[in-house]
Amino acid sequence: MSVASVPFSFGRLGLIAGNTFLEAVRQKLFNFLLLLAVGLVASAQFFREFNFGSSELKFIADFGFGALIFFGSALTIATTAQLFFSEIENRTALTLLAKPLWRAEFVFGKFLGVFAVIGVFCALTIGLMIALLWHREGQLMVINPDDFANGRLIAYGDLLIVGLLQWLKFGVLTAIVLLIASFSNTNLFTVVTGFFVLVICHLQYLARDQWSNVDNVLLAGTVRVLSLVFPNFQLFNLADEIGQGAGVSGEVALRVAGYGVAYIAVIGGLAVYSFRNREI
Amino acid sequence: MSQPVSAISIKGLTKDFSVTLRGVKLRAVDALNLEVAEGQVYGLLGPNGSGKSTTIKIILGLLDATVGDVRVFGVPANQVEARRNVGYLPEAPYFYRYLSGRELVRFYARVCGVPKASLKARVDEVIAWVGLSGAADRRVGTYSKGMLQRIGLAQALVHDPKLIVLDEPTAGVDPVGSAEMCELIVKLKQQGKTVLITSHLLAQIEDVCDRVAILDRGKLIVEGSVLELVGQRDRQALIVDPLPAADLEALRGWLAARGHSLNSVEQPRARLDQLFLSKVSRPGRPGGGSGGVGSNEVPLDAKP
Ligand SMILES: Nc1ncnc2c1ncn2[C@@H]1O[C@H](COP(=O)(O)OP(=O)(O)OP(=O)(O)O)[C@@H](O)[C@H]1O
Ligand SMILES: [Mg+2]
Repeated sequence: MSVASVPFSFGRLGLIAGNTFLEAVRQKLFNFLLLLAVGLVASAQFFREFNFGSSELKFIADFGFGALIFFGSALTIATTAQLFFSEIENRTALTLLAKPLWRAEFVFGKFLGVFAVIGVFCALTIGLMIALLWHREGQLMVINPDDFANGRLIAYGDLLIVGLLQWLKFGVLTAIVLLIASFSNTNLFTVVTGFFVLVICHLQYLARDQWSNVDNVLLAGTVRVLSLVFPNFQLFNLADEIGQGAGVSGEVALRVAGYGVAYIAVIGGLAVYSFRNREI
Repeated sequence: MSQPVSAISIKGLTKDFSVTLRGVKLRAVDALNLEVAEGQVYGLLGPNGSGKSTTIKIILGLLDATVGDVRVFGVPANQVEARRNVGYLPEAPYFYRYLSGRELVRFYARVCGVPKASLKARVDEVIAWVGLSGAADRRVGTYSKGMLQRIGLAQALVHDPKLIVLDEPTAGVDPVGSAEMCELIVKLKQQGKTVLITSHLLAQIEDVCDRVAILDRGKLIVEGSVLELVGQRDRQALIVDPLPAADLEALRGWLAARGHSLNSVEQPRARLDQLFLSKVSRPGRPGGGSGGVGSNEVPLDAKP
């Protein structure tokens, strides 16, 4: 008797992603996200410098991105670990993985679901930030028309690109946390390790700069390998390019995006490999 | 098909868990051999911790065998293909609390590839079949233990699998509910399904199972058909109206004259569960219904 094979299915992957997203929605995670985003962007109003110049706009943008990066990272790690372990701890994974379903579909489904949730957070924060900037810029144009002789100063398109790249970076972080979760037994271990890796990914460029001209071949080699293993999150931070010279270069943005997608694919693949033989 | 394939075939299955950091092993299943033929209702019995759930999880590819060969309809259990024709109700099931019962069954139906066209009808059908129509739109998080078992059975059946694996389907279910669960299992058997079931309620197992296996500390100690194991072929029971002592003596004499002996005289009693079932009303059931899977039977008391 021959049994028809079960091919990998993007439909099932999408179902799991959708269900993961729905969990976030129904657990009222989004109310919290909305509150957070509004709070963040609104608080930029209180911290602003009072010199009523275009530098105020720069401040709002910097503050907005700083908040996006900080809270986005925390949220990514916590959400990924939570949405993954809710399946394991509630033993719903038992029922789900007893279906004709590939473990790869499960892992990448979880990834996409979380990625969508983080996407909503990024969209909220950046959307609010852009609205605030637009509004404030309009006010300043009336007060200091000289500064705006050539029309609006802010390159809103660049803001969007930088926001998208941050989202992609959170995608890399999601993949990393899923990889940790795939072999970890507890939510807490996953979150703590996730933060640890996050810090390494943000600071690894420092180590590379420091050690690149060290004579010790072994040490230099180790640093090189480590800098390949851990993605360099600093690369995604193009916020400083906004409004400078030619602005954000599309080519650089594309290259960074490619870098992010490549890391997601490789780390996601590792997560599937490690999850494949996990005993549920 | 050249020769019939067993629904489940387990050969030399051993499963070790490492339970301490120093790598001490716990043998949960020990050199188990088991064949479940297609169409049987098969009971897997044993005390707590004897390895029943572990065996079931290996059959479903959730755990890997340490040693041994486990096949489902001839396909090695660790392959995705093996799960195509299997429905599974885990022990103490727990589902996505944030979905309604209907959404839950629908989700699993889609994961199992039930065609879009028949999806809605199929989902409603299994929900009615397990008697949950009245509660289908409530959040699963609000369900009672018995309702969780029912929705669990619905998700296990929704893709019309050939083999259904039920791990303690009657745990925490009241006698009415577990009697209904037994009725459902009998109906599944009538539809030609294979059912593997574990339970601690031996009386029920006895009523529904064709064959049973008893595990103890991971080892198979008894295996056979229920009739073989507990039927007493050298005994027969006659149930009669109450006899006066004199008639009883006369009967004894009559039997003795023909070379038979009257071994015991007892007062037959109804079993407590039968008493319970006859006294407790069933209408409180949410939705309550019958109607076989894959049949067009109209549920008897389903609300329109
Ligand atoms: N993941 C695991 N890690 C370590 N030991 C385990 C694991 N799962 C089960 N065991 C052990 O394996 C043995 C068999 O457990 P199993 O759950 O199969 O028993 P069971 O027959 O289903 O019992 P019950 O009737 O209580 O459900 C037990 O001693 C249990 O402690
Ligand atoms: Mg068990």
